[in-house]
Amino acid sequence: MLLELNNIFKWVNSGNRRIFLLKDINIQVEEGEFISIMGPSGSGKTTLLNVIGMLDNFDEGEYNFLEEPIQSLKEKHRINLYKKYIGFVFQAYHLMDELTVYENIEMPLLFKKYSSSERKALVGDMLDRFNIVGKKDLFPTQLSGGQQQLVGIARALISSPKLILADEPTGNLNSKQGEEIMELFKQLNEEGVTIIQVTHSEKNAAYGSRTINLLDGRMIKD
Amino acid sequence: MLKHNLLLFLRNIRKHKSTFLVNLVGLSTGLACVLLIYLWVNDELSVDKFHANDHRLYQVLRNVPDSSGDINTNESNSDLLIPAMMAEFPEVEYAAPLMDDSSNAIISTGDKTIKGSGKLAGKDFFNIFSFPLIEANGDQVLRGENSIVISKKIALALFDRSENLIGETVNIYDNTDGEALYAGDYSISGVVDTEGISSSLEFDFLLTNELFLAKRDPYDAKWNSNGVNVYLKLKEGTDATEFQSRLNKFYRAQLEVVFSKKYHHYIGNMFLQPFSERYLYNKFENGVQAGGRIDYVILFSVVALIILLIACINFINLSTAQASRRLKEVGIKKVIGASRRNLILQYIGESVFLTIISLVVAFVIVLLLLPQFNLITAKEINLRPDPELISAALIITLLTGLISGSYPAFFLSGLKPVETLKSKLKTSFGEFFTRRGLVVFQFSVSIIFIISVIVISKQINFLQSKNLGYNKDHVVTFLKEGKLVENSETFLKELKRSPGVLNATQLEGNISSFDNSGGGYKRKDRPSIQFTFARVDYDYVETLGIELKEGRSFSRDFGDEGSKIILNETAIKTMELEDPIGKIVNIRGQREIIGIVKDFHYQSLYEKIEPMFLLYLPEDANRIAVKIQAGREKETLAGLEKLYHKFNPGLPFEFEFLDDEYQALYTSEQRVADLSGYFAFLAILISCLGLFGLAVFAVERRKKEIGIRKALGQGSTQIGVLLSGEFTKPVLISILIAVPLGYLLTQNWLSGFAYKINIELWYFVLASVVALVVALFTVGTQTIRAAYRKPVDALREE
Repeated sequence: MLLELNNIFKWVNSGNRRIFLLKDINIQVEEGEFISIMGPSGSGKTTLLNVIGMLDNFDEGEYNFLEEPIQSLKEKHRINLYKKYIGFVFQAYHLMDELTVYENIEMPLLFKKYSSSERKALVGDMLDRFNIVGKKDLFPTQLSGGQQQLVGIARALISSPKLILADEPTGNLNSKQGEEIMELFKQLNEEGVTIIQVTHSEKNAAYGSRTINLLDGRMIKD
Repeated sequence: MLKHNLLLFLRNIRKHKSTFLVNLVGLSTGLACVLLIYLWVNDELSVDKFHANDHRLYQVLRNVPDSSGDINTNESNSDLLIPAMMAEFPEVEYAAPLMDDSSNAIISTGDKTIKGSGKLAGKDFFNIFSFPLIEANGDQVLRGENSIVISKKIALALFDRSENLIGETVNIYDNTDGEALYAGDYSISGVVDTEGISSSLEFDFLLTNELFLAKRDPYDAKWNSNGVNVYLKLKEGTDATEFQSRLNKFYRAQLEVVFSKKYHHYIGNMFLQPFSERYLYNKFENGVQAGGRIDYVILFSVVALIILLIACINFINLSTAQASRRLKEVGIKKVIGASRRNLILQYIGESVFLTIISLVVAFVIVLLLLPQFNLITAKEINLRPDPELISAALIITLLTGLISGSYPAFFLSGLKPVETLKSKLKTSFGEFFTRRGLVVFQFSVSIIFIISVIVISKQINFLQSKNLGYNKDHVVTFLKEGKLVENSETFLKELKRSPGVLNATQLEGNISSFDNSGGGYKRKDRPSIQFTFARVDYDYVETLGIELKEGRSFSRDFGDEGSKIILNETAIKTMELEDPIGKIVNIRGQREIIGIVKDFHYQSLYEKIEPMFLLYLPEDANRIAVKIQAGREKETLAGLEKLYHKFNPGLPFEFEFLDDEYQALYTSEQRVADLSGYFAFLAILISCLGLFGLAVFAVERRKKEIGIRKALGQGSTQIGVLLSGEFTKPVLISILIAVPLGYLLTQNWLSGFAYKINIELWYFVLASVVALVVALFTVGTQTIRAAYRKPVDALREE
């Protein structure tokens, strides 16, 4: 079991009312799964993804990641966990505009203990794999959206995570670029990487092996 | 990692040049200011600290009550003190007297001549003080009446060398006193190298005080006479406080013999002050130490700290204001695994790095400003890379970097990645309030400085253009020195015949500032009138263009001018004399009034014109004054010099224009004017940086609002006005604070002058307008940019 959410609740207080963002979420994810989270706007998809990615906390429930109870871990410990096992891909790519393609991909390695020659080798492999060696000295703004997302995925993969969390990875792309990215995810999944994506599109959800549907913070179908 | 952060830093600079420049300018001017003040403070603190046995050196002072009951602190003592003290107190290792004398000496060898000032010192002077002697030690110099110690500067000027001079002869001649007490030949016993030493004791040569003792009237050898400063070196381990009380007891015992019993309360007390404290703690009020130069040292240090703090706060403001731009970066970094520590280190590192760049710029600024700074402060400070300066600069820089970087570092790194990626920036009311408060503070200071600059320069202008009652233009003065002393009449006669010379006279003291008081005029049942008086020659009134109200001036056409007197208008008014010409009055003897001059300013305009009179006493004159023809200055001066050299061959001809002499009266005012000018500039600059930060921040904060307003059809101009209004408010508040404060401050400064300008409304209006215009100009760039932004840009982010 990679991760397990049991009775997760998350809320905000607005005046005297408590508004639930997540309500009684129960999910079990095995290694090697490809899960799509679907649902209308405001149904809590991104919040759920952020909770899974440990970017956001929750108010009630249990979250075990590789047998570790997340709710009782210290922040430092938590950071170490996701640094090691989780990679993020965003709809808006979130690349650093001031850094080149090469430097963007290299960045996660800087927060871990890698020698500079190791870093060079790993980034080189990644550039090769995505066929972007020729673009390594360009800045993100000089790339097309699809290419930027490719760099975003490369950055997420560089530290060989077990889990990739993707928040509408194709949302800003045209359909052809989107298809390419989804093909890439499929391929990664076949290589053994677990993927959880948030998506609006049925077509993209079909790439996954399982779909979780959310409505108003509740799971309505698994 | 470091390389990575450095890259980010440099690329950020390239991308946001204006922010970088604003920060750089702010921090480097702040640092430059702090460095200058540090150099000055350090220089002040180092004065007199070079003596090897500093902790054992003391000066003997006395607190003496005067008839009005005030206690005056006096540094001169009886010359009987030292021998008596040496005999009585074994804990005194050395004691030496020092007397000021021969301040206008001419030092010469066979063919070379130089002017210098000297003092008379006791034989152990160099055993007490560690002035470095070349080829001699403290036991070898100043032994015997013809022994002299000269400075290296004098040695080089006279001999072109500073070594192998022991035993050489120099001649000393006092150039204003024909029968100088110490004129004669002296044998060099030592050369002292005072280069690079900051000492409050300054001299070109030292003679032995035995000269004084030998020629002194034995009648003057009394315990209640005074005239020598006394310096001590106590033996190691002596309890100075305990010694001081015994010394005082001893001193009082001596004086109680001299004074009759009813005057015993005038004896006062003797006490010691550590020698190296004398320079900074030089002020005594009613016998109690009351600061002195140290006050300025503290004041300037505080100013430096405030300036630096303001610069830091500006930096913090600007970086938090623009934080939203870097929020995304923080978010990404956090998401891909950066710990809080990584981020704090990065931001602190950035600000330290920026501060180091600013330090380099600050050093350049200091180098450029140092000559002007030395001129204003009358110092000779050099920028030498000594370890002390470097470590101080580095400590200041690190501290500045840490303070400036800490807030953005902790603020940004503490944000949650989810929030930062959504670019949400919360601002607390407190933060905003502090920012505004800071701007109000900065602008108040700036406006006060502008008001001060206006008032001071107006007053200086007034001082310089005021009709003084005499004509200070085209009057040259110089010392009646050397052979001029005996031949003044011949010299003056020849002078008057020289081409370009309109008139010439001789007088005592300075024309623009003499304060000889004397000659009380007794009145019935009322306190007698105290006068100021001038000793003058024929043509004094004419040469200076003083107006005669009645009667005549001293003239060759009448005999025995010595028993006559000329009074000024104020004197006549105060004496309540009617029809005064020809009357005999008793002022310094019976004298006939021959003339009345209109009031003229014989002192600086700090002083009111008091009753004064002129006496015909040419033999007491020590200065020559020459009125020359306008437009022919150069050739006339050349003629003067030629004539001077006819009488004084080999002596340098050093003259002064009377209007320069007059201006020198206001050197410190000019200094204050210059300094406040610089400070005003600095204050405005820093304030603008603060305001700029606020503008950037507010525009960032109201970005969405502006977007919505535009989307709803509000025009760019309206939005510009709306935004600018927000910044006008703090400046208006500053005006309300600064105007009354500025009025009080300048009024207080002006109250020291007896003759002064009236403070006018437009000074304040001008200062306020300048502040407002500068402020609006500063925020204008930001608001206009914000106002003309496409609304979609602002709204898209949600």
